[in-house]
Amino acid sequence: MWCMIAADRSDDAAERQAQLLRGCLDMCLLALLAAEPAHGYELVRRLDTAGFGTVSYGTVYPLITRLHRLGLVANVLQPSSSGPPRKVYRLTDTGRDRLQVWREQWVHFADVVNTTLAIRSPKPGDDHEHADPSR
Amino acid sequence: MSTLIPAVDGLLATADREWRTLGINRRDRVTLAADLRGELEAAAADGFDPAELLGSDPTEFAHRIAEEAGVERTPPRYGQILGAATVGGVVSFILGWALVLGLHDVFTTAFDLSPDVHMPTLLGPAVMYGSVVVAVVAGAILAVRVAQRDAPRIQHTVARMALLLPPALAVSTAAAAVVGWALGYAFNPLAIGVEVAIVLAGFLAATALARYWTVTAPGT
Repeated sequence: MWCMIAADRSDDAAERQAQLLRGCLDMCLLALLAAEPAHGYELVRRLDTAGFGTVSYGTVYPLITRLHRLGLVANVLQPSSSGPPRKVYRLTDTGRDRLQVWREQWVHFADVVNTTLAIRSPKPGDDHEHADPSR
Repeated sequence: MSTLIPAVDGLLATADREWRTLGINRRDRVTLAADLRGELEAAAADGFDPAELLGSDPTEFAHRIAEEAGVERTPPRYGQILGAATVGGVVSFILGWALVLGLHDVFTTAFDLSPDVHMPTLLGPAVMYGSVVVAVVAGAILAVRVAQRDAPRIQHTVARMALLLPPALAVSTAAAAVVGWALGYAFNPLAIGVEVAIVLAGFLAATALARYWTVTAPGT
């Protein structure tokens, strides 16, 4: 029974984490590429190192495709000593500008969320509603 | 590395099937596949398993790439288009025959050609069958245009149907006539069924080809 509840909670947490990630992963990819150009599966490793856990390449590659379509990242082929050339992605100027906008938006949004989460619910003893005896 | 190439080829084949299903034209599929091949081969050279990279569902992966790349999609909808064309063609065939036979009765009653006027023997059948073919083509095109009006690039498909259907019907009708002649113009269900099937096959092949041509042609 406890195992089932723990598994359910774990599934919920993973699903919640995936939902949160969905809204900000493109921005995080831009931020990682702003730090240093990288190829696709290197980005997967960097996300893991950054603390996102394992984000699959199957999630990252389509997102890079979108960022490329939007002109936020560009790619260059870099020769490799161990096989075919690697496609290395880097931020474009437009991507850098967009990252700045998204970063400000995120910081504001996170502030609002944190402020909201910090609001404490009233303690049961603080209830100011009183029964009206005349009713 | 060489042992991993077949794995990359297999994954790309799976992705290409999905892209075809989505109705992505050949030029865009080639571009998407070339990009993905480069990534997977580079990953394989660095010791990653391409199949593991894409996850357990390469079809879903291919679907997402197509969506994120923003490529134009033209779903083939072969079944729906062939169905609409067949219904429109059959209804028009019946109405066309009724109209042609009615007009034939009217003209033969109203006019009497002088014996001095020599008409080519094949002119009468050519006009009759030609009128029916025109009716069938028009009915099929109209039905597809109306019933499938929300299908992407349907106007290109009907334009190509107008181009392909007349010769296809002419050839298949001629083939059916040859078969009828070979069977001694037998008037039994089997012989009639074979002749109808030949004409219908030509009609469906031309309609499917018109849609295939539209789907595979580069976007406008």
